[in-house]
Amino acid sequence: MKRADDIKASKLDWLTILVVIALALAGWLNIYAVVYDSQIDQNIFDLSSNSGKQILWFGISVVVVTLIMIMDFRFFDSFAFVIYGVIVLLLVSVLIFGTVVSGSKSWFELGFIRFQPAEFAKFATALAVAKFLSKPQMKLDRLKNWALLIIVVSIPAVLIILQGDTGSALVFSAFVIVFYREGLSPLLVVVGLIAVTLFVLTLLLGQLYIILGILVTAAILIAAGKRTANKVRTVLAIATVTIGVVISVDYVVNNVLQPHQQNRVKAFINPEADPLGYGYNVTQSKIAIGSGGFLGKGFLEGTQTKFDFVPEQSTDFIFCTIGEEHGWIGSFILISLFVTLLLRIVYIAERQKSNFSRVYGYGVASILFFHFAVNIGMTIGLFPVIGIPLPFFSYGGSSLLAFSILIFILLKMDAHRMQVLVH
Amino acid sequence: MLRVRVAFLVALLFSLAVIFRIGKIQFVEGERWIAMAEEIGLQYRNVKATRGSIYSDNGSLLATSLPFYRVAFDPSVASDETFDQGLDSLSALLSGYFGDRSAKYYYRKISKARSADRRYLVINNQRVNYQDKKTMQTWPIFREGRMKGGAIFEKVDLRFKPFSHLGTRTIGFINENNQGAGLEYSFNHVLAGTDGRALFQKMAGGSWKPVYDRSESKAVEGMDIETTIDINLQDVAESALLRALKQHDANYGCVVVMEVETGYIKAISNLSKNKQDKYWELYNYAVGEQGLTEPGSTFKLASLIALLEDSQVQLTDSIDTGEGTFLFYDKVMRDHKKEGYGMLSVAETFSKSSNIGVSRMINEHFGLKPDRFITYLDQMGLTESLDFQMKGTGTPYIKDPADPSWSGVTLPWMSIGYELKLTPLHTLAFYNAIANGGTMVKPIIVKRISKAGETWKQYNPEVIRESVCSESTLKKVRQLLELVVQEGTAANIKDSDYHIAGKTGTAQKVKAGGGYERAYYTSFAGYFPADAPKYSCIVVIDNPKGYNQYGSDVAAPVFKEIADNIYSRDPDMHQLFDPTYTAEIGVFPVIQSGHLQDLQLICNTLGVSNHAGTTEEWVLAKRNYNSVKWMENEILPDRVPNVVGMTLRDALPLLENHGLKVSYRGNGRIVKQSPGFGAKLDSGSKIILDLS
Repeated sequence: MKRADDIKASKLDWLTILVVIALALAGWLNIYAVVYDSQIDQNIFDLSSNSGKQILWFGISVVVVTLIMIMDFRFFDSFAFVIYGVIVLLLVSVLIFGTVVSGSKSWFELGFIRFQPAEFAKFATALAVAKFLSKPQMKLDRLKNWALLIIVVSIPAVLIILQGDTGSALVFSAFVIVFYREGLSPLLVVVGLIAVTLFVLTLLLGQLYIILGILVTAAILIAAGKRTANKVRTVLAIATVTIGVVISVDYVVNNVLQPHQQNRVKAFINPEADPLGYGYNVTQSKIAIGSGGFLGKGFLEGTQTKFDFVPEQSTDFIFCTIGEEHGWIGSFILISLFVTLLLRIVYIAERQKSNFSRVYGYGVASILFFHFAVNIGMTIGLFPVIGIPLPFFSYGGSSLLAFSILIFILLKMDAHRMQVLVH
Repeated sequence: MLRVRVAFLVALLFSLAVIFRIGKIQFVEGERWIAMAEEIGLQYRNVKATRGSIYSDNGSLLATSLPFYRVAFDPSVASDETFDQGLDSLSALLSGYFGDRSAKYYYRKISKARSADRRYLVINNQRVNYQDKKTMQTWPIFREGRMKGGAIFEKVDLRFKPFSHLGTRTIGFINENNQGAGLEYSFNHVLAGTDGRALFQKMAGGSWKPVYDRSESKAVEGMDIETTIDINLQDVAESALLRALKQHDANYGCVVVMEVETGYIKAISNLSKNKQDKYWELYNYAVGEQGLTEPGSTFKLASLIALLEDSQVQLTDSIDTGEGTFLFYDKVMRDHKKEGYGMLSVAETFSKSSNIGVSRMINEHFGLKPDRFITYLDQMGLTESLDFQMKGTGTPYIKDPADPSWSGVTLPWMSIGYELKLTPLHTLAFYNAIANGGTMVKPIIVKRISKAGETWKQYNPEVIRESVCSESTLKKVRQLLELVVQEGTAANIKDSDYHIAGKTGTAQKVKAGGGYERAYYTSFAGYFPADAPKYSCIVVIDNPKGYNQYGSDVAAPVFKEIADNIYSRDPDMHQLFDPTYTAEIGVFPVIQSGHLQDLQLICNTLGVSNHAGTTEEWVLAKRNYNSVKWMENEILPDRVPNVVGMTLRDALPLLENHGLKVSYRGNGRIVKQSPGFGAKLDSGSKIILDLS
């Protein structure tokens, strides 16, 4: 290996780092803006305020990232399952020893620091999935491997659901994107998408119309072209399954989902029905964004995001602050930053020499994309309200630290990609 | 690789969708959202004006608005540490303060609200006063303030009546719908003030924070009203009435005391039985519609005046009242005395209250010209509404001869107070006119409306009828009224110290559905002292039970009790040479010290020889043989002056000019002062005076 290659290899991807820092700083300013009260004129560094705590966590993240940078890049590959195991243990123990905050038992309290193992389960699972899929003998056409892979992803997800944090658990569904990249049949993805579409359409239009639609479609398919027995059987089978899905919708909504989750679904389907009841969050969020206009009201000038109009405005609904204070332009810049980050990560993932780091890279991209899409989507009514943070932006130490670790592990491995022996 | 491109594409498409959606929310729906924000987040809300106070005649508060607070709580804002450490003791303190629930209850209530992520919780609906609010602000969690502790104190003005039940109905009330009674209701337009409007912003937990906005209008505070009510007299009237009501197990009763010259109502009390058989101020019978009744014998005064005015009848003329019954057409009139009064003088028909005597005289004189009788009633101010300051005042019901219900028996019955209706207040105003030399003044209960001490409107005594009758008639009826108490139906309340003039009334109550039942409406209306009337008063007691059911036995003693009390408290009413005082000092008035010019004037007027030994303003009286010598009352700027022997009127300005704060008890002249004469004076210190 040439020395020049070494130098090139040890180069960090600064574009990613710059975007991450920009997001974290913008987030920090917005957290300050949310609680800002002109009458108090609080210092942004005041450690008793959210913004002060966030900058503290920013510092902690820098320390942890530095540690990652000086570690051996092979550590993550070698210890992927160990890290995964430790995190799963933490998830189990938080169920036993954890502290309950706002209805979910998902926090550890160590002195004045509180952290949420669920956040760290994301990168740990990404590592485990990467390790699993990068095994040389791994073939994804075998059912057993599929089953194992799904178990790897499901264990943390189920534990997190048990904590009462369904939102964070849903993030694990993002791994579908990784699986798709690594050879999951597009057919399955399409089937999945159709199922989701049917689910949503059923909610929107009502069972009867959807079932009628399916029957009509099936009849047309059977009538058109040649009527082979095989074709008729296939069409009927698919029609039966889809009708089953449709019928199950009501059951799922009413029996599986908890009341507040049902309300969120209702609010998503018809936000106008009860704008001050279960649609309150989204209504307020839209009011905040809608009142921003093209240029926004200006930094610290927002009124909707202060005074607690928008609930959870420094965590889940932080995007409203951007919409209100910085308008369409601010939102556009923020989304551009996220898209840049996502595409850059996909680009980084693709240039990896090892399967492990490539799969991990896709894991990072999937998790970030899911957070980004769902979080912003819910504030503007594109998704039902699912309480997950906007990466690097929302208030929350565990989330900031976990996302930093997630990304910098990839950057560390990327920096050493030339040193990897190709399997 | 295709799949990578698909991933890129999906991310891009999604981002575009988001940007498009945000643009739509901001540009297409923007105005709608802004409008909605105003609708649910910003609001113009009324700013309640502080209600004015109601004062008694000497400036004591009868009703005022005090700020109270409702304690609410935002359980979501306190940090875990503050919350967990403080909740135990906070719950205990809350439980201790409110005393209605256990500490555990509050603990559970608050922690439940916190875990449910609620932002607003009313701790207790009981209002707390300002002092208690201050104390609460030192309690755990609460002491962290609104933003960090979550304590919310919402100001609510509560109406406070310092004398609690005293004159409750007269002071009245007003509810949220602006319905009510009494002064609060009648003077609501000035008391209420004008609510302001201001822009408010919704805060966490449903409270509202004012936001500056140019369009806001300030609340205009309500004005104060100053009544003519004398709190002490009110107390006396109320307790005397209550005792009588209890004694006679009556349905209801009322008392009104009025100052003769001005028409100022000094006391007004209405008590009626509530469902629990307790007497309470429930309705203003003295003034209101429900108080309109057939007055009975008190009305004979009006009949007699009409007769005296229109005829040559002399009080000494005699009339045969027969044997207790008299037939007017088909209707029998009876006298109180079963076997009848026989021959009576006109004066006696009145003092003994003979129904037959009065009605016969009236019927004989006015029988053919009833219009003329009504004209006299009109001249006496009895036919039209008093236009009293309180809402819901009953209007007199006096039949017109043209009325189809007017019959042959109407006039005789009317002459003794039936077939017509008056409120007790109206009857009193009439008796007051007799006391006031024939001039009928309008009853007044509110003499001034003011704001911050500045008069906004003054209600001066108002004459309704310059004279209700001629001088000579007036003189006669005053004699008669005195006679009633001296030797007539109300002889039981005769007093040797001062004379009461008045008339008893006992009316049979109308049965529901017509006819009269054996239940009575008893009353006594009159004034005192008879020779120089100062106060008039009416006492009404409805449906007394037991043996004594007549005005003289039931209502008159209440009158006497009130009159006695006023008499004992009002030295101006006493005769100048009070024997208990003059006994020792002889011919000299009891003057020990005072203002030289005033004292000289008095002595000169009374023909008491006096001479001054000083030119000082303030003097002490010394006896010098058969005359009074005025000696200098040494007033040193840094010493407490001697005020013993002075009236309060003299002493007050003197002491207050020396920077002393005066408090006093009793009535009359100063007999004791503390600190005493010549003590070193500290400005702003207190001096207590005993008067006797």
